[in-house]
Amino acid sequence: MINWLLEPLREPIVARSLIELALLGLISGTLGCWIVLAGRAYSAESLAHSMLPGLVGAALLGLPLVLGGAIGLAVGASLIALVGRIKVLGSEVAVSVVITSLVGAGVLLGLAPTTPAGLSGILFGDLLAVGAGDIALAGGFAVIVLAVLFVLHEGLLVAGFDRLNATALGRSPAPLDLALALLLAGATLVAVQALGNLLVVAILVGPAASARLLSARIGPMMLAAVGVAWAASLVGLYASYHAELAAGAAVTCALVVAFLAALLARSLREAVASDSRRRGRGAQSRGLRLRSRRA
Amino acid sequence: MPDRNLSSDPLVRSNRLAARYPAASVPAISSITFAVEAGQRVALLGPNGGGKSTLFRVLTGELAPSSGELEISVARPALVPQSEQSRLDYPVSALDVALMGSVSRLPWWRRPSRADRVLARESLRRVGLESEANTSFGELSGGQRQRVLVARALVQDSPLLLLDEPFAGIDLPSAALLAELFNELASEGRGLLMATHDVEQARSWDLVLCCNRVQIAFGDPATVLTREVIERTYGASLVALPGDRSLAITPPHHHDHFEADR
Amino acid sequence: MFESFALPFFQRGIVEILLLASVSGLLGVWIVLRGLAFYAHAVGTAAVPGLVLADGLGFSALLGAFGAALVMAAIVALLLRRRSLGSDSATSLVLAGALALGVILASDVFGSQGSVDRLLFGSLLAIGTPELLLAAAAALAAVAATTIFGPRWLAAGFADRRGSSDPLLIGLIALAAVAALAAVGALLATAILVVPAATTRLITNRLPLWQLTTAALAAAEGVVGMTLAYQLNVPPGAAIAVLAGIVFALVAVAGVIHQRRRKLAPLALTMLGLSGFLVVGCASDGGGAGSSPKLTVTATTTQVGDLVREVGGDAVSVNQILTPNSEAHDYEPRPRDIGAVADSKIVFTSGLGLDAWSAKLLKESGSKAEVVDLSSELPVSHPTGAGQRQSDQEQGADDPVAGQGPASGEIDPHWWHDLLNLEAATTVVETALILADPAAKDQISANAEAYRAEIRAVDEEIRACLEKVPAQKRLIVTDHDAVIYFTERYGVTSVGAVFPATSTQGQASAGEVAALEKLIREKQVEAIFPESSLNRALAERIASDTGASSEYTLYGDTLGAASSAEGTVLGAEAANAKAIVAGITGGKQRCLIET
Repeated sequence: MINWLLEPLREPIVARSLIELALLGLISGTLGCWIVLAGRAYSAESLAHSMLPGLVGAALLGLPLVLGGAIGLAVGASLIALVGRIKVLGSEVAVSVVITSLVGAGVLLGLAPTTPAGLSGILFGDLLAVGAGDIALAGGFAVIVLAVLFVLHEGLLVAGFDRLNATALGRSPAPLDLALALLLAGATLVAVQALGNLLVVAILVGPAASARLLSARIGPMMLAAVGVAWAASLVGLYASYHAELAAGAAVTCALVVAFLAALLARSLREAVASDSRRRGRGAQSRGLRLRSRRA
Repeated sequence: MPDRNLSSDPLVRSNRLAARYPAASVPAISSITFAVEAGQRVALLGPNGGGKSTLFRVLTGELAPSSGELEISVARPALVPQSEQSRLDYPVSALDVALMGSVSRLPWWRRPSRADRVLARESLRRVGLESEANTSFGELSGGQRQRVLVARALVQDSPLLLLDEPFAGIDLPSAALLAELFNELASEGRGLLMATHDVEQARSWDLVLCCNRVQIAFGDPATVLTREVIERTYGASLVALPGDRSLAITPPHHHDHFEADR
Repeated sequence: MFESFALPFFQRGIVEILLLASVSGLLGVWIVLRGLAFYAHAVGTAAVPGLVLADGLGFSALLGAFGAALVMAAIVALLLRRRSLGSDSATSLVLAGALALGVILASDVFGSQGSVDRLLFGSLLAIGTPELLLAAAAALAAVAATTIFGPRWLAAGFADRRGSSDPLLIGLIALAAVAALAAVGALLATAILVVPAATTRLITNRLPLWQLTTAALAAAEGVVGMTLAYQLNVPPGAAIAVLAGIVFALVAVAGVIHQRRRKLAPLALTMLGLSGFLVVGCASDGGGAGSSPKLTVTATTTQVGDLVREVGGDAVSVNQILTPNSEAHDYEPRPRDIGAVADSKIVFTSGLGLDAWSAKLLKESGSKAEVVDLSSELPVSHPTGAGQRQSDQEQGADDPVAGQGPASGEIDPHWWHDLLNLEAATTVVETALILADPAAKDQISANAEAYRAEIRAVDEEIRACLEKVPAQKRLIVTDHDAVIYFTERYGVTSVGAVFPATSTQGQASAGEVAALEKLIREKQVEAIFPESSLNRALAERIASDTGASSEYTLYGDTLGAASSAEGTVLGAEAANAKAIVAGITGGKQRCLIET
């Protein structure tokens, strides 16, 4: 049994993936919470696709691919912010319009005869191919994310809680939105090449969405999200090692299962709570509160 | 009544103030001439869409005046918004929300201090919610939520409070508590500007500003609140109830459903 | 530019896009109003596991996609009943779960996935009668639902933007997304379902008018996009998406400019008309190809193209469909390919399932061309996955995932890596060309004879080169088993392959990679050979872990760029030999091969 647990960790390929996922777990536990609370999962899911035209453009011009990807992400994120300002459409439609156009442009550019093959492969990066460079990058970015989120914490909380009146409290939402969008773009750039878009989305959204079901405060929510990310990474990698499942997909599945488990736990808790309320149990502890709330 | 005639400098004073939203062709408010002095309670009467929120936005600095004069001696007035504008699904406690008031006094890179936390608890005590400090905002009743937002404004510690229909749809105990608290705040020397639909309540305040896109009247409620002024303020949406001076107002619904703004 | 309208596949495309436009008009407004854009995108994309399953179990891809989308719709509808759950978080997680399931099915259960990649962007040629019927059903359902439930949706729709999620609407959008799959693809279904409604939303806010203008705009963008796709030889999804994006941008900019003057609608309409005109103008300047008196033939893959050019020489004009940067296994034929086939007297295919898509080309073009399958008379053939199995047996390991690979009994389609096969294929090409153009017999025979001599010479050189390395040292690891014919012919042992499947959807497992690393260390394999057309990061990582080299690349599925030495079959084989010798000797030994 001990061997069953330790054996995978002795494999460098597993150990490196685990370290990368642990760092990404830190990012997703913190940044992911704001993304989930702000309702930006669509951006998280689609932003990586805006790298496509940038990658193709960079390849055609002979520039470094990373630069092209970064430019693509920056263009995508800013266009989403710009179109998102049209109030009648809303942010989801903005993402849809921008990403659809950029993916289309990427496909058209990619058909040029001089475009090298396999550029879109970057969107399907492989967890097991993670190297020391990727880990250093993820570590550095994790530090940046934690620092920025620490400083902006109250502002993000104010702007998210009461967007309409945040400016009256001296925190206008627009720069905070931009900060969040840039962090998201950065996370995409850092993580997509190493993990692939599928796993990046799952780890950015999954733990935070699970944690949201389990905790009622932002601090515990972040801690719970980091915990969920780490646990799911471990379970996914063990499954990939022992059951020989595709690595990134196994971790993604573990994250989705964690979310479903959190949903189940929450539903059970609510069912028990409403049940005990109906039977009038716990009158001393709950009844008091309920009465004042119903007022 | 505290002696407020001695305070010569008003907290806010405007002269023929007008403001217009960027996309709009006509001003949302115009010809607004009023002042709020320290310790004064001013009621702002007007129909929905009559410019009450616009005036608040101008006073908080979110919207620049398009013409007229505005003198405001307060760094940042404390706004108590309508509680339904806040998200109920947000993972914050009553204390967290009250603490948000402190950020208005801090530069963007500073976090609230221990002293701010103490002040937040104290403010919750003043609105009678000390025991609910750790309850999630979304689990509180409507009246309690409104009181938490008042506590947030107290943490802001501003000499001028802007109250956006604080009594709309709240329970009687909460309403009584808030009314008492507002009087207390005024006697501390703070200026209060409260948007409301309640003409009777406005009568009990120090001054009243009637506004329906343009200013209808400003002054002592006893002299200002004539039937004619109220009718001009509320237009056709005024219903005379059987009885002596009672007038009921039916707030008009928003017709432009598409502009369901978040 | 109107000649395209006479082609049956193009007519089908137009009918399909008009049906989809009506769906877009009826449902797009609700997608925009209710904030269901993400769901509309996700439900089409979530069809992927259904496609993998359909491919693996051999049922209709459309059925697979539809089933997967319905499951997705049901789960999302269920999750959306919980108000506190962010609908976007739930949607993204259901989508991630579906895609992960697809990857696991493709990598670990079926070991391949045929038609997933090509359904991401859509294709004119993918539209057949079933697709048209599905689009018609979606249109009918949308009309019926709007008539019956429209007023109810209207009442509920504006009250709250998110959350209120009528299961019927959720299901209808799933149907629409699957119907749009064939024409515009999973990644771009939003180009027709969301973008037109978002564009017209900038102009109008009255519901029937909004729906009408959306349908009209979607139809205009669709027809122009289809025409552009045909003229420019690009996937229709991409053309429509870019077009829709440009129209949106123009209308939005016009709106911003004229916002203050309140003259948005007329100006925006002018811009709309202008942009449509512009695009039609662009579309119309496509040049017609001049006909040549020479014998015209079509070759499907890069290797076949090279072979036919070598044999045909000046006597034959060759249309080659694949370019070196396109994927051979799941290429989706494009409109211009049809013209090429229609003009050809012979179509040379590589065979053994590698270019199965050529059958569709022939059918659509109505061509009477003779089809010559070069794999029909191979002197040497190996089953797929031969190298992998051999190493497993040698090792005596009981592989828990044995049989996950392609079904045994299938012949590996990369036959040209054995030069004996290439020689035989040369003769097949020779015979076919002479039959089609007897006048050029002498020239063609001379070309073929010269080429066969060259093949034999290169074969000898490669053998001599490799035999300088002791047989027990000739161990390699490849990206995926595409060079079995090469390794078998020259006594090279392929110890293993990095990827379980040949496409971007395939992912390795930690267990397999760890086992492979162990094997590489045990057998002291010197080099891992990434393939030129695939993502090489994992191969490089395994190499650096085990101390093997990964600096040499093999040409497995495709040739090098047209102008390079590796742009010919013999050049590529020589390069493979050089790479293997240099790799397994740590660069100490090199060979010179003249091609």
